[in-house]
This record gives sequence, structure tokens and C-alpha cells, in this order.
Amino acid sequence: MEVSVIGRSTSCSSSSANKIVRSKLGFCDLKPRILPAKNRLFFGWKRQRCSKAGIRLVLKTSIRSEAVNSETVRPCGAGSRSTSGVKLFVGFPLDAVSDGKTINNSRAIAAGIKALKMLGLEGVELPIWWGVVEKEAMGSYEWSSYRALVEMVAKVGLKLRVSLCFHASRQPQIPLPEWVMQIGETQPAIFFKDRSGQQYKDCISLAVDDLPVLNGKSPIQVYQQFCESFNSAFSDFMGSTIMDVSMSLGPNGELRYPSYPAKSSQSFSVGEFQCYDENMLAILKQYAEASGNPYWGLSGPHDTPNYDQSPMASNFFREHGGSWETPYGNFFLSWYSSQLVSHGDRLLSLASSVFSDTSVILSGKIPLMHSWYKTRSHPSELTAGIYNTINCNGYEAIAEMFARNSCKMIVPGLDLSDESQPQESLSSPELLLAQIKQACRKHGVEVCGQNTLVSGDPRGLEQIKKNLVNDNEGLNSFTFQRMGAEFFSPQYFPSFTKLVTSLDQPELGSDDLKGTESLRSMRRLNFGLQKS
Amino acid sequence: MSAVALEPLLHKSYRQNPRFRPRSLKTKHFSLSCSSNKRLSNSSSTFCNFKTPIVHSAKATSTDTAFLETQENETSSDTFFKETFHLKRIQKVEGKISVRLRRGDDKEKWQLSVGCNLHGNWILHWGVNYIDDVGSEWDQPPLEMRPAGSVPIKDYAIETPLTKSSLDLEGEMLHEVKIDFNPDSEIAAINFVLKDEETGSWYQHRGRDFKVPFLDYLHHGSNVVGAKRGFGIWPGALGQLSNILIKTEVSSPKGQDGGSEISGSDMQSRRFEGFYEEYAIVKEVPVDNTLSISVNKCPETAKNNVYLETDIPEDVVVHWGVCKGTDKKWYIPPGPYPPETKAFKNKALRTQLQFKEDGLGSWGSFTLDEEFIGFLFVLKLSDNSWLNDKGSDFYVPLPSSGNLPASSPPQVSGEETDQRAYTDEIINEIRNLVSDISLEKSRKAKTKEAQESILQEIEKLAAEAYSIFRSSIPTFTEATVAELETQKPPAKFCSGTGTGFEILCQGFNWESHKSGRWYMELYEKAEELSSLGFTVVWLPPPTESVSPEGYMPKDLYNLNSRYGNIEELKALVKRFHEVGIIVLGDVVLNHRCAHYQNKNGVWNIFGGRLNWDDCAIVADDPHFQGRGNKSSGDNFHAAPNIDHSQDFVRKDIKEWLCWLREEIGYDGWRLDFVRGFWGGYVKDYLDASEPYFAVGEYWDSLGYTYGEMDHNQDAHRQRIIDWINAASGTAGAFDVTTKGILHSGHWRFPSGKEMQGYAYILTHPGTPSVFYDHIFSHYKSEILALISLRNRNKIHCRSTVKIAKAESDVYAAIIDEKVAVKIGPGHFEPPSGSQNWSFAIEGKDYKVWEAS
Repeated sequence: MEVSVIGRSTSCSSSSANKIVRSKLGFCDLKPRILPAKNRLFFGWKRQRCSKAGIRLVLKTSIRSEAVNSETVRPCGAGSRSTSGVKLFVGFPLDAVSDGKTINNSRAIAAGIKALKMLGLEGVELPIWWGVVEKEAMGSYEWSSYRALVEMVAKVGLKLRVSLCFHASRQPQIPLPEWVMQIGETQPAIFFKDRSGQQYKDCISLAVDDLPVLNGKSPIQVYQQFCESFNSAFSDFMGSTIMDVSMSLGPNGELRYPSYPAKSSQSFSVGEFQCYDENMLAILKQYAEASGNPYWGLSGPHDTPNYDQSPMASNFFREHGGSWETPYGNFFLSWYSSQLVSHGDRLLSLASSVFSDTSVILSGKIPLMHSWYKTRSHPSELTAGIYNTINCNGYEAIAEMFARNSCKMIVPGLDLSDESQPQESLSSPELLLAQIKQACRKHGVEVCGQNTLVSGDPRGLEQIKKNLVNDNEGLNSFTFQRMGAEFFSPQYFPSFTKLVTSLDQPELGSDDLKGTESLRSMRRLNFGLQKS
Repeated sequence: MSAVALEPLLHKSYRQNPRFRPRSLKTKHFSLSCSSNKRLSNSSSTFCNFKTPIVHSAKATSTDTAFLETQENETSSDTFFKETFHLKRIQKVEGKISVRLRRGDDKEKWQLSVGCNLHGNWILHWGVNYIDDVGSEWDQPPLEMRPAGSVPIKDYAIETPLTKSSLDLEGEMLHEVKIDFNPDSEIAAINFVLKDEETGSWYQHRGRDFKVPFLDYLHHGSNVVGAKRGFGIWPGALGQLSNILIKTEVSSPKGQDGGSEISGSDMQSRRFEGFYEEYAIVKEVPVDNTLSISVNKCPETAKNNVYLETDIPEDVVVHWGVCKGTDKKWYIPPGPYPPETKAFKNKALRTQLQFKEDGLGSWGSFTLDEEFIGFLFVLKLSDNSWLNDKGSDFYVPLPSSGNLPASSPPQVSGEETDQRAYTDEIINEIRNLVSDISLEKSRKAKTKEAQESILQEIEKLAAEAYSIFRSSIPTFTEATVAELETQKPPAKFCSGTGTGFEILCQGFNWESHKSGRWYMELYEKAEELSSLGFTVVWLPPPTESVSPEGYMPKDLYNLNSRYGNIEELKALVKRFHEVGIIVLGDVVLNHRCAHYQNKNGVWNIFGGRLNWDDCAIVADDPHFQGRGNKSSGDNFHAAPNIDHSQDFVRKDIKEWLCWLREEIGYDGWRLDFVRGFWGGYVKDYLDASEPYFAVGEYWDSLGYTYGEMDHNQDAHRQRIIDWINAASGTAGAFDVTTKGILHSGHWRFPSGKEMQGYAYILTHPGTPSVFYDHIFSHYKSEILALISLRNRNKIHCRSTVKIAKAESDVYAAIIDEKVAVKIGPGHFEPPSGSQNWSFAIEGKDYKVWEAS
């Protein structure tokens, strides 16, 4: 019962802190891995690589254990982690820096990150674009604006995850470096090409990773120099403010082929295989010959639907008796997906060697190709390069590759719920997420969640909350994408605030009030502070 | 001095021979009670007397040598320093309000008694509801019900003092008032609040009046929150209320049990059954205590002894350290320390003072090496409050070693700097603790406050980020933007904020609805208001309302209210426009009363043109079972709070506002209870309805310190500014901070000081609002003079203020370097500098000058 005093303060009952004390078990899978070999063709070189990787893993682990002594390092990979809640980040606008010399909306960003700090968030995520930093000439880097942003973040006291973006963005428009585009005009084969000959120019084809196509250097070498330049330009922030570096692994940074055109609606399109540029075809041919079926290497599958067709329109993905389930299908899909995994491995191991002397944690992003997940063939995943069907768990190989490189896995789409998907797409983001998490758990890879987009749909935040609170096993952090007018709008931000403040946090000692006060650090915020 | 040498012995004797303790303390008690009233002027001999018993107890440990020494020392000791500090602090006294209904001694009558067991000057402020009156207003009780000493307040309430009467069951003194009434009278309910004249505090029940209903049906369909069917005081949710000023909680559930038992029974008609309930209250009383400090030097050991003694009856912990220089930097001295001493984060020491035997306080004695030149400390009390010396640490100078031969202490310089760094930190830490925590009633209150202010700050920052990001959405190329800019005429005013020169008249009072034809009455005054200099009039809320004043709207499109009908309203608005006054509609957007009950019997289904369902109600007020989102602001508990995050709600409200603009002709809005929802939504509404001028009522709890208003209300002002920022500058907000200070807890200016208030608001920036009743009162000429002075000097909402004097009896400021004003009885003359000041207006305790 309340008795209050008129005309003085109104009352505000503090809700009893509703705390869920969670303890996390570390996952350390020491059992020998049994790969699902059924119906799956393994290439000799791959096995070899796997065993080599085993040794590398051991080495990495010992390096890590050294670094763990430093307070700033968060355990990663097969380590255990503390009982604290999921760390929350918010992404900077994609175009926070768009021309290398100016910060766009810096005042808004300054206000925004301050608000986020006060809310008690762990940090922010900053996309750094290849096309901005190394825009004009190979080897000439312009870091100044990004440095200014990092300084801003450091000053506010937030942590930073940096995403090194070797891809281009359509909206806002951030292309690949100008000199790369010029090379692309004379050597179109550096880009992916689909069956109809359409090029995808928002990232370089993985087929040329190790070919000296960029002024005598291979893309991997160029990426490596970029990473090295970044590492030295920000050496004073590495491990103190910059805690995490994420490598762009393909279109939109994700480990996938550009299987669906940017403009088509993702939920319905199955996408197409992207193996028709001359280098991809050459590799395919080589492997077909090596596997004793030279005719299988002449082209991609002929019986796939095109972009606008239903997956069942042609034979390849058909539920029963589709080509995907044939030995040819298995051959092609194994090759196609292994190319992608190898590409991811090249980039992540490149990064782990460049950043080996820092305590930053590495990560890479995979796509959440949830359309058609409820079919047997999972066509959207297959065209994207993830050999995940009813018969074959494609995330095993990916998780294993991440584990090998001690990388965390960024998984987008945690805002997507099954019920918000159109029925006819036979989609299931939730089941897919569970499958990915399971694979990660098995291989000791930590998962960092992301949402797909800021939308007015309250179900998005609900779903995020569900993922963070109820079902956050294996979830290390979550990055909200991303700052901007919509994010701070009265339609979204209050709900965001509520979500953040309603997440549990470990209780602080009563003497710890005087530090930087933020909502999340002040025990449980009585949500909304309403009287009740 | 003796205690120096004795210290270790003292410990020993306490620890090893606890049975000696009572004896020594008892003796202390004796000497203390002798000198307690004149500790200030204590001579050293009194002090020494006090010491003697300690020596005796020490003697009991057979350390004869020490004993002899101290005896000697004692005679030769000098008191180097002696001072008594007066400590003002707030003590929380817990007590209860009891409410009892029973059959009176005279069996024909029933008796309601309200009691309080705390000391105070208690007044029962009460009224009744009659059976046929469905409204919620109070009426005066029939004459025969009024106990002796009752004073009628207006025509709706009675104030009856509580008398110190009986002893209650536990033998405590009780302040009580008894109201006898005839059960056959037409009384449906008795309403009351309790007021303590001593402190000016009012005690309500869950933020509302206490209500003792005798009729079951009263609850139905009324705006009653949490009303359960039944009889007795409304049972409320159990739980502690962390009021800034006063904390209360239910102490005894037994009354509630009784209440709910009865509520289970079928109460269709008037039934009387006795009950007794208690409500815990906490009153905060200022208490004066003293702290006396004396310093003696022992010439033998060359050590200083600091002796602290206080009459604070509870646990007192001294956080202390010493300083070596005049910079008052804290150091931790080497041991030994008094008993009950712990290091505080290795940066200071904290020592629990020893209770005196008589329970009337505690004491402590600190032995310090002579190298230290001062003793620094603050006190921490058991309720986590801190006491310091007017904002700084207590500082006690020690006899410097220069007076006596002393070897300079060997010190490693590195260590010293280390220590310095540490002590700097601890000083800051303690200072922060002291300054932060002493402002707050408790850590809890602090946490809540801090959370609230952080939320406000976050909201402000987000709004800023939003507006910048939004404006930067690249819809134009650079060329077209440049073009647009050149075409734009210079802005005279931005939407919603007027010109800045508005002077507003609150065109109604709390009782205007009683006339039934207020619109027509005001119609007659329009021309006069214009001639007085008003440019804006604020009309009462026009909608159909559950409460006659209009603030409990029901059907938003029904504009027939107690003030008049829609046609009269239109005529009035037209009239104001004719005389050049713009009209603000009082729109209540925070909450809305429902038309129908849902299947659970909860009133949360709306009717009328906006027949919203329970999705339009915020989800976090359990009373109304809303299915919307959580509220974006504070909740108002008497009616369903509207969920402004729902698109359909915002769309409907925007349409309604536009309709009011077009159909009625309102020029702008006065927004009621805007802290109930986020400023960003307000911006949405203002963008849609494009008012010429809008103001929001942002009532907020003013900060209080020690039961008195904290006169530095910047935090509160900031919250209002934050709200305006969130609304992106489209709405002004009433300067309710000023209003709060001037009103000091009441809803009007303190009687007799109205003109001081007007002298302030009419000379200061902001949009001044003048209350209708004051315009048509004997203040008229003074107000008129102030308004014309404001207009003459073109003071506007963003004028600059330079505060020239702020003392307890006078406040003076210079506005825009054109007007000087003094408020309060104290003396002030504007500085004769570059400007020549000529006297302009003078009234009771205020004076205004103009620069000439």
C-alpha cells in the first residue's frame, strides 16, 4: 500500500529485480569428429587439410591461452566464458565514413553513442570499407576518418567491433575501390558470373583469391596488406577499444555466393549457382577430371530454376528425385560448397596471422538463408554455397573451419521469426538458427547474433529478445543493425531501450555505484520507471 | 596527553576484561550528562574529568606504569583545539496512520476515527460524497458530523485538527480525530487526506485520497483506480513506495484481510461493518545534533589525541585520515588505530564510534603522530547518510610538530607520491559519496533518481541523433538543397513555439465548470484580456469528461462539457480571434476513460467515434489490462493510459487534433501530463496539427533535500528542456520548475506572495502564464503594469538572465540588461554601471527597475 505526499514527488515503486542467473558452460569438444560422410564425396586434399588443421588448432589454442591472461581478451573458440549476459553492440551507419575524409552525421553519431553508452551497451560495430580506405590506388590507404570515429568511441568508453568490408554496398552506395573496378573492366573474370552471363560486381570472385589479378597481386595479398595497414594504423586501439575484427567473406560480408540478385525478394527467390566465370569453370573442370567424371566439369547443373522461378519449377531441387540427390548433384554441391569454405578459410587464416600479435578476436559472418528451409533440398542454401540438405549438415564444415581459425561466427537474422515469414516460402529462420548454433556448439564456436534490419515491426525486437533471453545458449554477443534515423526514431528507440534494459545483467556490488553509471550497470532498471 | 598513552591499554582492557566495560562507561555517562549542554564551552578540566574513569579501567589491567604516566600527563596536558559542530540531519520516524470504523458509543451512530501515532501538527482534510452525487468531488459534510474545531475549506472540505488523545494499545501517544455520523444520513463515502502542519506534508493513500465508501455501487463506472468491490479502505498492492520524501508501506495486513473478507460478501446496499486498518508512514524530522572535538597533546609521547564525541544516538562511523600539509590531502596514518577500525578501500580508515553507556551518543579517540598537521573526517550514519562540515570534510588542526622537537619522519619519496595518488582518489571518492548521497534519502532513491535522469538523458541524446539522421536523409542533391535554402523566407517563428513574446492567460480555474456556462462568461472578458496585453488564452479541456474539470476525457469528439456546448465554444474562439488573442485547446492525450467494460469487468473498451479496443491502452498498468505496448513515460493511474506507439492511435489523435484546429478554430495546444509519453510522439502530433503555439505541462517531482525544497532545480529544468528537445523544439513547456518553487508544493502561489511570483515570471524568460483569478482581483493593476513593462522591454521566452543576488531574503536578477528585478524583503539596488536604472514598479517584497 502506498501513502504519498501531495504535491511532492510522485511515487515510483521499484520492481523487484527479476534476475535470471545463468551460468554458461564452456564447450570444449574433444571427441574425434565424425563427419557425416554418408552421401558425400570428400576430396583427398580436403581430408589432408583437415588433419593439418587439427595441428593448427592446437597451436592456436596455445597462443590464445597466452593472450587470455590479458584482461581484455574474451575467451573465444573452445574456451569457456563468464556468466555475464550477452554483450550488446549497435552498428554504426554503413556510410558513417563514405569518402575517407569526412564523418557523416558526426554529431548524431556522437549523441547516439553517448546514449548507447548510458544504456549500458558493450560497444559499437564499425564497417570499414575497402572502397573507402583504399579507394584511389592500390596500397594507398586513408584511415583518418575512421581513426576519428574510433577515437570518438574510445572516448565514450565503448568497445568496438570492426568489420573489414571487402565487398560493396548498394544502399547506401559504397562501391569497391575505383582501381579494382577499372581492372574489372579489362578483366571481367575477377567477378562472379551467373548462368546467363550476368556479372556480380559487389565483390571479387573467390575463384581468383590466389591469382595475381590485381596489378600482379592476388586478392588475398591485397586483403592481407589492407589488414596489415589497418593493424598498424590502429595499433594503439587494438585490444583496448577494438576488441573484435570481422572479415568480409563475400557478398554483404557473408560467406556465400551472390546467389540471388540484390533486387529480387529474398524470401521467394531460390537464387542461382554462380559458377560461370571462367576461373570457376576452370576449377570445376579440374576437379571433375580429378574425380574421374570429366563430363561433370563442363558446366554447372543444367536443370536449375532461374531467379524468378519456384524451386520446384525445374528438376534440380525437386523434393523427390531431384538432381541434388543424385551422385552428380552430390559431386557438384560438394565442390561448390567446398570452394566457399576454402575461401572463408583463406580469409580467416589470413586475418589470424595478421592479427596474431594482438588480442583482438576474429569473426566472420555467415548468411541465414532461411527460405525453403522446410524443403528437403534447401535450395536457397545450396545456391548460396552451403551444402545443407536433409541428408547433409552443411554447417558442420563451416563451423569446423571457424573453429580451426579460432573465429567467432556472426549470424544475422535473429529478428526473424517463423511466423513472420510468408507461408509459401517454406522458410524457417528459427530452425535454421538452431541448426547453426548446434553446429557451432559442437565445434566450440561462439555465435554473435545480428538482426537483419531495423523495422517498425515489434515482432522483430520480440524475437531478438527471445533469442537473447530464452534461448541464448552459445550466443556471445548481439549487434543491432544499425544506427540511423530509423533506429533512433520514436517508433523504434523506446522499444529498443526497453529491450536492452529488460535483459538481465549480473548484479553489481553495492559499492560499485559510482563508476560510470549506465542503466544496464545499475542492477535491474525498473523498466520504464513507471509507478505501479 | 593521557589518552595517547592509554589507547592501547584501553583496547586491551576492553578485549580482555569485558566486565570492566560497563563500569567505565557508566562513569563516562555520569560525566557526560553533566556537561552535555555546554560541551561547546567545556574547559579542559571537564575533559580531563571525563578521562579519569578510563584510567581506572586501565588500571584494572595492572599496568601501573602506564597509569602513573597518564596521571602525570593529564595534569600537564593542554587542550590544543576544541570545537562543537552543530549537525543537522534528517531522522526518519516510523509511525502509522490508523483508520477505524465502528459503532459509536451512542449506538445510533457510527464513528470513523483517524489517528496517527507520530508527533506532529496533524490536520484531517476531509469531505464526503452524498448518495445521489455520482461525481467524485467532495462535498462538505453536514454540520452535525463536524467535530469541534473544524474549519470549512471552500465549499467542499473541512479541516479538523487531530487532538492528542488517548493512548493506543501499545501505550503510545495518539493523535486522533473522531467523526460521528448517522448511518441514516445520505453519506456515500468519507474522503480524507492527512496533513502535517508542522512540515507541510500531505499524506495520501496510494497517491489519492483515502476513501471510506459505504456504498458498493460507487465504484462502478467511476474513475476509481483499483477499487475493489467491498467495504473499507481500498486495498492496494503491497509493496514499498520509494517516495523521495516519505516512505510508507503497509505495516499490518490485518486490516486488509478484514477488508477483503468483507469484499467477498455481496454488498449491494449500504452496509456498515466496523474495521480497523493501519498504514505505515515515515516522517522525516530534522534533528539537531552536536559533534564536539577536542585535541590534546601529550608532551611525553609527542602524539596528538583527537577526541570526538557526538550525541547522535545511532551507529556512527568516522571515515578519517590525516593530512601533512595545508592542502588537506588525506593520508592513512600508521597504527595503532582505535578499536573497530577498518581500512576503507585502502584509502581511508573507518572507525565505528563507541556507544556511550547512556545511549545518548558515542565517542571515539584517535592517537596521531605529531607529523600530521590535521585530522580529516566525515561521518557516516547507519542509514548510509553522510555528514560533513557544510560541504567539506571536517578538519581538525593538530598541534604542529614545529612546536616541539621532533625528528622528521624518514620517508621514501616514492611511497609518498603513491600514497598521495591514493589519497587523492579516496578524497574524491568520499567527497562524491558525501555530496551525492547526502542529497538523497537513501541509496535506493539515488538509484532510482539516477536511473530516471539517465533515461532522460538517453532520450534526449536519441532525439538529437534522430533529428540529425532524419534531416540528413539524402532526398535532395546538393544543388537542389541550395536552391531551396535561398527560396526559403526568413523564418519568423517555428511551428509550435510562437514568436517568443506571448503572454498567456489561463482562462479558467478549477471551479469554472461549476457555472455551467463558462464559455459565455469568458466571452464577455475577451476584449478586456486583449487590452491587458494578453496574446494567448488557454481554454479548459473541451471534451466530454468523467470529471467535471475535463481532465478525464471520454469521447474525444463530444465537445459538450460542463463549460458549455460546442457552439458556445466555437463562438468563444471566434471572439478571441476578433480581439487578437490566439486560443490554446487543453488536450488530454495521456489517458482516456473507457465507455465499456471488457469481459473481466475492466473498463478498457472505448466508445464514441474513436472506438478503440484495449490495444490502445499501455500494457504496464495492471488496472486496465491494456494490450498495447509498454508506456513510453510515466503512467497516470486514474484512467487507461493511451499507447501512443500504436499507429492507429496516433493516426486517430492526429485526425482529432486537425479536426479541432479546423472545426473549433484552436490555434494551438496546451498538452496535459506530457511526461506520460515520449516527446517524440508529441512532435508527431504537432507536425500533423501544425499549431501556432503549444505548451506542455511537465510536472515532475522537484528535488528535495532534507525535507526542504532544493533550490537548485537545474536537474528538473533540464528534464523539461530534454522533453522539449525530444519534441524537437516544436512545443514549449510551461516553466513548471519555477511554478514548483513558487508554489512550494501547493497548486497555487503561496497566499500573499502571488505578486512576487508574477514579478518573477513576467520579467523572466519563458512564456508567462497568468491565472484568470488573479487578473480579475486586486492584483490587476500590478499585473497590468508588469505585463506592459515586459512588452515595453521586449522580454521574450529566450531572454537572458543574469542573477545579481541570491540570498535567503532576496533574489535579484537583470534580464536582457534592460530590466532589473528584486524579489524578497532583502535589500538590492541595481548596479550603477553603464546603465542608468530607473525605478518602475514596486509591490510587496518585490521591485522592478528599467534601464534608461
